[in-house]
Amino acid sequence: MSIIKTEQLTKVYGKGATAVTALNGLNIEIQPGEFVAVMGPSGCGKSTLLHLVGGLDKPSNGRVLLDGQDIFRLNDDELTQLRRRQIGLVFQFFNLIPVLEAAENVALPLILDGVKQNDARQKAEAWLARIGLSDRLTHRPDQLSGGQQQRVAIARALVAEPSLILADEPTGNLDSRSADDIALLLRQISEEWNRTVLMVTHDPRIAAHANRIIFLKDGTVVDETRLSSNGHQEEMMVRQKLEVAR
Amino acid sequence: MSVRNAILGLLAYRPRHGYELHDAFEAMVGGVENWDLKPAQVYTTLTRLEKKGLVIEDRVQQDGGPEKHIYTVTQAGLAELQKWFSEPVLSDRRRDEFFLKLMLCLAAPDANPRKLIYVQRASLYRELHAITAQRSRVDPKSELAYILLLDQAVMHLEADLRWLDMVESRLDEISRQPIPEPAERPRGRPPKSDES
Repeated sequence: MSIIKTEQLTKVYGKGATAVTALNGLNIEIQPGEFVAVMGPSGCGKSTLLHLVGGLDKPSNGRVLLDGQDIFRLNDDELTQLRRRQIGLVFQFFNLIPVLEAAENVALPLILDGVKQNDARQKAEAWLARIGLSDRLTHRPDQLSGGQQQRVAIARALVAEPSLILADEPTGNLDSRSADDIALLLRQISEEWNRTVLMVTHDPRIAAHANRIIFLKDGTVVDETRLSSNGHQEEMMVRQKLEVAR
Repeated sequence: MSVRNAILGLLAYRPRHGYELHDAFEAMVGGVENWDLKPAQVYTTLTRLEKKGLVIEDRVQQDGGPEKHIYTVTQAGLAELQKWFSEPVLSDRRRDEFFLKLMLCLAAPDANPRKLIYVQRASLYRELHAITAQRSRVDPKSELAYILLLDQAVMHLEADLRWLDMVESRLDEISRQPIPEPAERPRGRPPKSDES
């Protein structure tokens, strides 16, 4: 079963003459363990897609299925729980709590979910070690480089062992070297740790780390690229489908 | 031309036989996937270089085995190499097969130029994916030059991708413009004064 499936997903901001359609009947499917990049010109709906899949915003029409479950039929508590346990979020500006140390930032989602302080701390430290930051446990965000802050944010996204990581321009605020490191880490998260990663980016170099790129324009999928060596054959079939759908 | 000069350069480093030259070349360019040099080309090039007096061949008897042909660069060969070092490498960027394809696709009755762009873009992304994977496996402490070669490839691919986005966004404008045709030439024999 697909881990993410959207059906006729539509999001319209505003009403009447000033209404803006961000997503227009979007259908995508993502399999467990895939690393998928979403690209497209600004305003194509890529961030909106990520927000809807993460349950951060509600669609005007259509459905988002995570593991076959329609997330907008859940009540608020259930949706919050799903976000905490099954989805890890990574943002462009890291969104770490400035007064907390790295390990405290990483442990936070577990503590909010009722995990005991000591257990949460232990898991946080283990994830920080796994991503190469075991010597930065007690540093506050302002004592870390941009790349390190984003690694902490990724550890925080992973700490509750979610099956899905959603990353919105995760390298948008980094120099190119740190950006490459973060892209490699996201690749590792999917390849070695078998998590699904859905990433929005405008940077071709970062998108090229994914297994598949979905191109959006005006709120719909206009093309997709499979980056494996036999990707060309697979794509021909996908393109045919897209053409038939149009 | 570059293979010929590379062979001179490798021989200036030290004398070698044909097969060693082939392997040394391959190691230098980062493997057969980057530059597939056929052994036969090495041997024909060596024959030509020897005829021109740029290398000399020594036949060395091996214990039990067939004799080895060891090549050494001559003074003239070293001078040729210096000449190569003193000249810039010219780029070939305006001679572009994709551009040709795009123009002809715009002119063709039943073609889809947007699809052409997508197919090309997908191929560039696959290349970029393969190179970034390759780059992450290379050790910067011992193979920095090779990393820089891969970085150059990455940067060119990024530029090509940006350019394709630009072409896509202006495709409608391009397709409204006429396909370039040769300037009309006057018929018949040109007047004598125009001949040089």
